[in-house]
Amino acid sequence: MLELRGVRHRYEKRLVLDLEQFTVPRGAVVAVVGHNGAGKSTLLRLLALLEAPTEGQVLLNGVAVPRRASATLRRRVTLVEQRPVLFRGTVLENLVYGLQLRGISRAAVHGIIGDVVDRLGLQPLLDRRRAELSDGEVQRVAVARALALRTDVLLLDEPASSADSAAAGALYRALAAERAARPVTVCIASHQLEDAYRWADDIRALADGRLSPVTPENLFRVDLPPGDGVKSVRIGGGVEIAVMTERTGAAVLAVPPTDIFVSREPLASSARNVFKGRVRGMAIDRHGAGVQVRADMGGDAGVELVASVTAEAARDLALAPGISVVFSFKATAVQVF
Amino acid sequence: MDFLAEAFRRAWGLLIAGDSEVFGIAALTLKVAIVATAISCVAGLPLGYFLATRRFWGRRAALTMVNTALAFPTVVVGLLLYGILSRRGPLGGLGWLYTWEAIVAGDVLLALPIAAALSAAAVQGVDARVRRTAETLGAGPWRTAWTVAREARFALAAVITAAFGQVVAEIGAAMILGGNIRGSTRTLTTAVALYTSQGDFGMAVALGLVLIILALVINIALQVLQGRGGSHA
Repeated sequence: MLELRGVRHRYEKRLVLDLEQFTVPRGAVVAVVGHNGAGKSTLLRLLALLEAPTEGQVLLNGVAVPRRASATLRRRVTLVEQRPVLFRGTVLENLVYGLQLRGISRAAVHGIIGDVVDRLGLQPLLDRRRAELSDGEVQRVAVARALALRTDVLLLDEPASSADSAAAGALYRALAAERAARPVTVCIASHQLEDAYRWADDIRALADGRLSPVTPENLFRVDLPPGDGVKSVRIGGGVEIAVMTERTGAAVLAVPPTDIFVSREPLASSARNVFKGRVRGMAIDRHGAGVQVRADMGGDAGVELVASVTAEAARDLALAPGISVVFSFKATAVQVF
Repeated sequence: MDFLAEAFRRAWGLLIAGDSEVFGIAALTLKVAIVATAISCVAGLPLGYFLATRRFWGRRAALTMVNTALAFPTVVVGLLLYGILSRRGPLGGLGWLYTWEAIVAGDVLLALPIAAALSAAAVQGVDARVRRTAETLGAGPWRTAWTVAREARFALAAVITAAFGQVVAEIGAAMILGGNIRGSTRTLTTAVALYTSQGDFGMAVALGLVLIILALVINIALQVLQGRGGSHA
């Protein structure tokens, strides 16, 4: 549906995105997770056809998009930015902006707006101006403004970052309702893994502008010392990870959550990485079979690791927030990219 | 000091009496200023938007050129255009020299860089997300530009005021290109210079007062318009 191919994007000669291929399949919800500065917002701007990549191509339904995408092409994709802006005028005027551009009749506009206003609870805000809205309300209006357009692709950059939990829930339910009503393709950038697991079909991780070859969790930016074999690398706070690699210099380490053994006591094993910690949170995946266990591994900076276990194992170990756990994994399980 | 007081008394008398020459000169000045401001803003504002929003080879050089043009001496612009519009010049066939159209041409050359440079700065001051948001909601280039202009309306109103101020107070180009012909190309500034050189301070002060009143009225009108817009952020 929407694809980036051989994309390298630079700002002032600085490489900010380096993706051999990135595809958002038709009708899917893809979450892109990563730290601040990982390249998530840039990726969404390229997918929104607002910027052309320095190198490479953007393809929409298999057809390469020209470097300056026409308004007709852009109208098939909408982006809600992380800190969205509302134009001068009322909330209602903002909601009708894109619909008027598409030449939709006044009666149809009325119906569409009424629908999104109900879904996102915006009725009391319709006559307000941007100065009279909180950040969370601005974000909700911006999402409603995008939903009203019923584009083929919806791109959301941290859509719930300013929302409280109730508003975030309403927002994601509105998205689910939209998906149930029509085949919409969604790509969400988020730094909240819990949201990604709950709402997305597929999760991709970005680190330093590149896609993690493994999973979105447990990514650490490090500086690898010279030498071969097992290296001990500090990942933050007082926490060090043993990693088997020949690489040196700046790199990203990834510890796949499925390669982490979770136990209540230290195991007698060959694992070079053994961390005692406390469970901070748990998230059941969309299919209910797996549980993501997030635990604080100590250290001054509060380094966290995420392990993936089956629902059965989580029950047997009586895992719950606050419980002490031990995470173990081999030095060879740590991937370097 | 007596001659100054006498000049003001004479000026007041001319204004109260509705002196036809004073009002004729004021009307011509207003006509020239409005036409020149309109032309320079119609061309300069889109040029400023283009310079502020598009990335192209030579953009920095173009911005430097426009900014440099802000400081062009009016007499030099007048002289340049005189050469072009004179009978042997490339545009001599137009027969514009010593007409109000020639003054307008000179004023446009002087006000255009102001309109372009200041509107480029105004557009650059608008949050980049406004343009991206308009585009992602489906706006084409013109509608995007209009949306950005609405956000920069106060700064753009100031651009129009500055362009008008340049045009209405300019004397060098008006003198060279218009020739200061009575009843035809005599503007307020050229008339003030002429009457001062003839020692007719009363007439000069009267015309100076009219010039100040004209500038004041136009600025108040623009501020009222801005104020109305400001109450609906």
